Amino acid sequence: MRVSLEWLSDYVEYSMPPGKLADLLSLSGTAVDRVIEMGAETTGVVVGEVLEVKDHPNADKLKIAVVYDGFENHEIVCGAPNLFVGMKSAFARVGASFSGLSGGKLKGAKIRGIASDGMLCSGAELGINDDASGILELGEGTPPGTNLSDIAPTRDVIFDLEITPNRPDCMSMLGVAREVAALTGARLVPPSYECNESGSPAGDLAKVIIEDLEGCPRYSARVMTGIEIGPSPLWMQRRLVAAGLRPINNVVDITNYVLIELGQPLHAFDLDLLAENTIVVRKADFGEQITTLDGVERQLDDKTLVIADRKRPVALAGIMGGEDSEVSGDSTRILIESAHFDPTSIYLTSKRLGIRSESSSRFERGSDPEAAPHGAARAARLMNQLAGGTISRGEIDVYPRRTVPVTIDLRPSRANEILGTRMTTDEMAGILEGLEIAVEKGEKLRTTVPSFRWDLEREIDLIEEIGRIYGLDKIEEAIPVGGGLNAGLTRKQKLIGSIDDTLLAQGLSEVVVYSFMNESDLDLLRIPSYNPMRRALPVINPLTETGGVMRTTLLPGMLNTALRNTNRGNRDIAIFERGRVFLSNDPGELPEEIEVVGILLAGVRGLKNWSVETNENYDFFDLKGIMENISDVLGVSVSYKPEDRAYLAPGRSAGMFIDGDMVGVIGQLHPEIAGSYGLDGEYYFGEFMTGPLVEASRENTYKKVGRFPNVKVDIALIVEETLPASTVLEKLTDLGAELLVSARLFDVYQGNQIPGGKKSLAFALEFGSADGTLTDEQAHGELERIIKEMENGLGAELRGRINL
Amino acid sequence: MAEKERLDELTGTREDLASIKNEAFSTVESCRTQEDIEAARVKLLGKKGLITGIFKSISGAEAEEKPVIGEIGNLLRELINEGLQAKSETMAEEALVASLAENEVDVTLPGRKTALGHKHLISQVIDEIVSIFLGLGYRIETGPEVELDYYNFEALNTPVYHPARSLQDTFYIQREDPEHDNSNDILLRTHTSPVQVRVMEASSPPLYVISPGKAYRRDEIDATHAAMFFQVEGFAVDKGLNMGHLKGTLEVFVRKLFGKDRKVRFRPHFFPFTEPSAEVDVSCFACDSAGCSVCKGSGWLEILGCGMIDPNVLKYVGYDPDEFTGFAFGMGAERVAMMRYGIEDLRVLTENDLRFLRQF
Ligand SMILES: [Zn+2]
Repeated sequence: MRVSLEWLSDYVEYSMPPGKLADLLSLSGTAVDRVIEMGAETTGVVVGEVLEVKDHPNADKLKIAVVYDGFENHEIVCGAPNLFVGMKSAFARVGASFSGLSGGKLKGAKIRGIASDGMLCSGAELGINDDASGILELGEGTPPGTNLSDIAPTRDVIFDLEITPNRPDCMSMLGVAREVAALTGARLVPPSYECNESGSPAGDLAKVIIEDLEGCPRYSARVMTGIEIGPSPLWMQRRLVAAGLRPINNVVDITNYVLIELGQPLHAFDLDLLAENTIVVRKADFGEQITTLDGVERQLDDKTLVIADRKRPVALAGIMGGEDSEVSGDSTRILIESAHFDPTSIYLTSKRLGIRSESSSRFERGSDPEAAPHGAARAARLMNQLAGGTISRGEIDVYPRRTVPVTIDLRPSRANEILGTRMTTDEMAGILEGLEIAVEKGEKLRTTVPSFRWDLEREIDLIEEIGRIYGLDKIEEAIPVGGGLNAGLTRKQKLIGSIDDTLLAQGLSEVVVYSFMNESDLDLLRIPSYNPMRRALPVINPLTETGGVMRTTLLPGMLNTALRNTNRGNRDIAIFERGRVFLSNDPGELPEEIEVVGILLAGVRGLKNWSVETNENYDFFDLKGIMENISDVLGVSVSYKPEDRAYLAPGRSAGMFIDGDMVGVIGQLHPEIAGSYGLDGEYYFGEFMTGPLVEASRENTYKKVGRFPNVKVDIALIVEETLPASTVLEKLTDLGAELLVSARLFDVYQGNQIPGGKKSLAFALEFGSADGTLTDEQAHGELERIIKEMENGLGAELRGRINL
Repeated sequence: MAEKERLDELTGTREDLASIKNEAFSTVESCRTQEDIEAARVKLLGKKGLITGIFKSISGAEAEEKPVIGEIGNLLRELINEGLQAKSETMAEEALVASLAENEVDVTLPGRKTALGHKHLISQVIDEIVSIFLGLGYRIETGPEVELDYYNFEALNTPVYHPARSLQDTFYIQREDPEHDNSNDILLRTHTSPVQVRVMEASSPPLYVISPGKAYRRDEIDATHAAMFFQVEGFAVDKGLNMGHLKGTLEVFVRKLFGKDRKVRFRPHFFPFTEPSAEVDVSCFACDSAGCSVCKGSGWLEILGCGMIDPNVLKYVGYDPDEFTGFAFGMGAERVAMMRYGIEDLRVLTENDLRFLRQF
């Protein structure tokens, strides 16, 4: 809502600088987003009439205009596209000063070789409005030579206000003036609704019937005769422009002016174009149509409230008028509609038809039913003054079910409890009365709310009013005690944090990716139809750039992130994301939301460094090592078994299992999949659910450490090539029981020194006991036993052993 | 030195022994290497050495000379041993210094670092916000991102057709009726406030909760709009909470986040689920409230929305608004990050360019 202070000062006698007023409004809930200083003092600018337009000999886009300024003709050069013979515009004589010159005076000039004796100005140059697209077009009735400052003051300050949805009453000059009055104590001066009536009674000239009282509880109207359509006065045009509206003609401008002034939307019908001079407010019939003022032909249905005459719809009620009852240059008899419509019905219709107008945006938030006759009367008064019309006697006002004023009880103690204040009952009553709320004092305050404040329904609404006018800055601050035992992080939350920390410590950077993907990603990844990853949840109204379904895996997002990075020259990728994937459930049920961590590795491992001869690329075991560090930090035992995934390279992918349940997958991205995302080279991807890991996490336990060094032995075992290393290691660990404190695989060998079809696995073993009594002999005896068992159980053969 | 003087005194009358003494001392003095020291030891103290020779000469000497020669031999042996020992230690020390000097390193070369990852800026901002509230006695709760209309709107006092709904463009997953909102509709939550309702339904006061998470709005993506963003929601429900507690809490929070010199102001505002509601501004840290391009000349930056939880919201979850009151607040993590680091385009946050991520 743009509020011109020059206009606002008509309705409230405040006196303070604009900056102070802006602060007062902002700190009471009507935020002033911008303060726009408009214009400067204008001198030497008059109404000029364009008598002749000639081509400029040296420039295609420029014209030479002969302008009459009330005394003499001037030849000027002008480039405005809207220049025409007979036009009245703002003519600045040489020596003039106006806003666009920022303090200087207009000099005579030669433009492309032609002398220009003055200039025609745009509204923006003069500071009248912000239209710089052409020169200011003035009404035909304004005599050449008239000083522009007489017809339009150009100095103004405009507030751009943010009106919250609960305050439709502030979408008007009068509403803002009421706020200013309540805040400053200044006197409110409402506009005059007095009508100088004559001629036939309005009721004889027109008839109004409301068939749908739900949709239209009140319809007021005035009838004007003898209207002369023409331009509205420049002061009104300037005010409309300042409010962001385009001047059209006096009748339309007056309806818009009253809309901004009172917040009451109006519509003017050419009475002679209404069949039987009758207005019927009803639901449209299915199949009826109307061409609205924006030139669009619209098919109507029985949900749409229309204003009709005896034959056809002539307006979409509260939203937009129709073309064939529009006021035109020939109109003389006019019906001014000022009605009250049901907000929901307007909201739904405007949403359904996709039209929003100044009118609908006010009605859909709720208008004041008691203001309807004022709107009609105010417009009639202005048309009488500015468009030569006669106001017919009497008003038409169909209002069968009067709205009952709202009364609310307020407990002053409750207000202080909510606000944290110690206000007296009198202070509260004073604030409410300043807002035109009637107050009856008692133990409770019994209040009656004015009809324009239909947002006030409950005690809390009044408490809010008291708080914002009292001033939130005056409320004393305090700190609550907090949640005590329940405060702080849970163990699970801390563990999730340590997953992040472990990833970061291993050189992976965190990425944040949109939670959407394309359904086609699932095809690209070759996800089979039975896989849960196919349970992607479609979005009804997606944005094309983000994808149409909720993601069921982090992979596509990570691949696209990798692609963006490689395209920008960042080829070494070590990234992770922790976020949710979504698996659809039955219709009507919310989906499963599962938190997962995704990891993607590619290119050179770690940091390139001057002291390292060759920088090696990431491989499968880097990825697995990262995962193992996470499970170590959490104290969870995770086992890995071969697990095929269509998007992972065959033979290079594994499932992560906790107690037999799969919790994640790691592997090399299938090169063809990488290719279909535009990537080349080796990519390693892992994805696991955080929930089961955190769930399986156990507190660390204390084991006594012996005072003597452990007995260390390295052994190499020859086993079948196909035997998984994990099987050998697990067997060793099982057999080792108490005394084997650690077993670490440190070498894998295949080659000439061992038979074909076999491999050699080398393990570093440590034996020890907590009481420190383990002797070398005991340890070696134990090792003998273990080796024998390995030979028997797994067909392993001892290749060698080194005592350390 | 007493030994040296005694020796000089004893050899004063024996020219032959004095010359042996001088030769022995100059031999020790001339040692330059460990090999020299070994050679000197053989030459002087070995089986055929000069000093050994002195002892051998005792047997053929006059009786009264015998003790003198013996003493000279002993003194010489002692002094030679000391001299060689000192020589050897000095040499070892010099050799160590020389070898270290030879292997001098360029201490300005970069160290051998392990790679460290970078937490996303947004996560860092969220962590910081959350940790302030953990310090104030809050706990973390989260809720679903795919949510029912009921939790996202209706239970938050935003019934069907409420004008506040038109403020937010919502992504829908399932609609009962394409034209009308319905509380069973499934949507992507447009804010983190549904967590309020879910937590209040599941537990009872006192509640001091902070809830960070993703929210979604169907905005065309540009420099200042994202279709997905991170909100941090907080709320407290307890006996006797009022606007003063809300102000005190947020004032502490804002000044901990942006610096204790910042000023904070509360502007009344409207949200469907709080009443009274307010927006919170922090004094601009780019210009210290003088007015600049960052704060669009106002001297203030909007940072939070907040208010007392609407009694209707409390009633929805079965609380008695006369017994318990509460406040709630919410902020966008992106906005905090953008303001703090002068980031002009939101999109860098989801582009994940490693060159961007490594800056934080
Ligand atoms: Zn600033």
